[in-house]
Amino acid sequence: MSQLRKDPITGRWILVNITNPKRPEDFDLRPQAKKGGTCPFCAGNEKMTPPEVEAIRNPDTGRDTGGWLVRVVPNKFPALKIEGDLDQRGIGIYDMSNGIGAHEVIIETPDHSKDLGDLTEDEMRNVIFKYRSRILDLEKDVRFRYMLIFKNHGLQAGASLEHTHTQLVALPIIPKRVIEELKGAANYFNYKERCVFCDIIANEKQEKLRVVSENSNFIAFCPFVSRFPYETWILPKTHARHFRSIDDNRVGEMASILKDTLARIKKTLNDPPYNFIIHTSPVRDGMNEGFHWHLEIMPKLTHVAGFEWGSGFYINPTSPEAAAKYLREVK
Amino acid sequence: MPELRKDPIIGRWVIVSIERAKRPSDFKAARPEEEESGQCPFCEGHEKQTPTEIFAIRQADSKKDKPGWDVRVVPSISPKFTIHGGLDRRGIGMYDIMNPIGAHEIIIESPQHLSDISQLPKEKIELIIKVSAERLIDLEKDPRFKYGLLFKNHGLKAGGSKATKHIRSQIIVTPVTPTRVKEELRGSLFYYRYKERCIFCDIIRQELDTETRVVMDTKHIIALAPFASRFPFEIWILPKKHCSDFMNIKKDEINDLAVVLKTVIGKLSKALNNPPYNYMLHTAPFRRDERAGYWTTIKDDYHWHIELTPRITQVAGFEWGSGFYINPTPPEDAAKYLRETEL
Repeated sequence: MSQLRKDPITGRWILVNITNPKRPEDFDLRPQAKKGGTCPFCAGNEKMTPPEVEAIRNPDTGRDTGGWLVRVVPNKFPALKIEGDLDQRGIGIYDMSNGIGAHEVIIETPDHSKDLGDLTEDEMRNVIFKYRSRILDLEKDVRFRYMLIFKNHGLQAGASLEHTHTQLVALPIIPKRVIEELKGAANYFNYKERCVFCDIIANEKQEKLRVVSENSNFIAFCPFVSRFPYETWILPKTHARHFRSIDDNRVGEMASILKDTLARIKKTLNDPPYNFIIHTSPVRDGMNEGFHWHLEIMPKLTHVAGFEWGSGFYINPTSPEAAAKYLREVK
Repeated sequence: MPELRKDPIIGRWVIVSIERAKRPSDFKAARPEEEESGQCPFCEGHEKQTPTEIFAIRQADSKKDKPGWDVRVVPSISPKFTIHGGLDRRGIGMYDIMNPIGAHEIIIESPQHLSDISQLPKEKIELIIKVSAERLIDLEKDPRFKYGLLFKNHGLKAGGSKATKHIRSQIIVTPVTPTRVKEELRGSLFYYRYKERCIFCDIIRQELDTETRVVMDTKHIIALAPFASRFPFEIWILPKKHCSDFMNIKKDEINDLAVVLKTVIGKLSKALNNPPYNYMLHTAPFRRDERAGYWTTIKDDYHWHIELTPRITQVAGFEWGSGFYINPTPPEDAAKYLRETEL
């Protein structure tokens, strides 16, 4: 038996298999072996990337040389270019502008053999510090309206380089998926005078069915309306609209829960390809009443097919209740 | 300089690479032959391996669930939605749920074990189009259903099955109007209120005028690479005369649509080395005049169309997180390559 469930944030419907959920072993999972070879993100190859923007380095090392822990560089093949004006214009009925934006790569470790989840908590903390500092820096540019942090792990999740890294794109518009969440959260807030994400957290803590793990400031759970099998969200438990305002203490707790969650996913699903993204408030547009920043982890275990593309309606073969149980119980 | 282009219907932005535009040969990487792992239940002679047929175009002397058919419609072997029962809309705490009432049918497009629609003669494709429209007309009669989505998954990466590549399309009927369709309906309404014209008709006019994104033009049906294509070699196929419901397709349009589907998919397979692809039909919702939440101008402001999207790039974190796509091939280039591909 399946169930149709409605996302309380965006109103999107999903179809979830509740009686016969697909177990981890039902997916065609092969661990992703790293090929190695010359890699522009490895220590010693700093000259192969554009000049670094920022790094956490040993005190006696110079820019664009070895001896770093986390390194941020511009993307060599950026989707958007930093120089120039937007120049918004119309062509007949169409609207367009120049592709202005920033596209940076956060190299999480100099060690090619490691994945993000293999880092120590201290190393993970440094990575999150860099997410925060790059956003704070790029926000000064008034052309940018949104900062999207995302990670592609594995070929099927779109990673073109196997050395573990996160990307940051500064956009001159607010992306559609974020607008949907902002609007949904604002509607809920108008009706209830409460944050929909805070209500979800309270509900999940009470029901416990979908919770994967928790620490004093963060919770990880499989959302009631997961689009993908084993989809997992991480949220700060106290209401916070902007990721960039996270304090140092919470960075430590976020590092710990992210490391733990990625390790659970890796173990349960045999190192699956995955994407994660951080959804935070727009830089300076307001319109974030009742919005609550969060991180969405989406393992890529199934192919998105014509029905999903045509309808925006997802079919999830593993109920989030079953997924959370597997993730909770994995050693 | 890359360009940011806005979809005029739903307002979605797309980043289009201009300088490092990818050509078909960049996507042509050898595709491993996808092995079929099972005996095919869709071939002529194997009729007993599917659930009982719902509809078929058959030779006069042949019987139900026996050989002698051209197009055959059966319920899905693993249906995602079930036809029996009530919706039972209800809340669980803050969440809303209902039962998955709907229908899931498979349109088997040929009795022979072919894997691509372009291998069929035009006359057989016309039959497939007729059967698709008739199934939607029949399913609309059930008052529980709000929307029927016709789609095709070709190749594993497009969600096709491992067991068999036998050509078929699917119809899933849902008790809610899907999000993606709602966005288009709302966008079209917004434009109609502002201009008192159908946005799709305006797009067709402008594309015929500039010609750069037209892939194929016939008397009744046009194929074009949309200005804000999400994917390289994305193609939309539309009737040139305004019509909101695919179910009202006319005979002349069926003929032209068959030619366009055969030609465009044939060219795509040749230019991109048999790429995986999906196509889906977007038409107006069922029985909308009797329902709350719809408006009376859908007939005038919405325009049915088919979206054909090759799956030759990986959708990654950026796209999932933003709903904003990066397209490495400008649609003008894609249309030109396809126009120039000889069959």
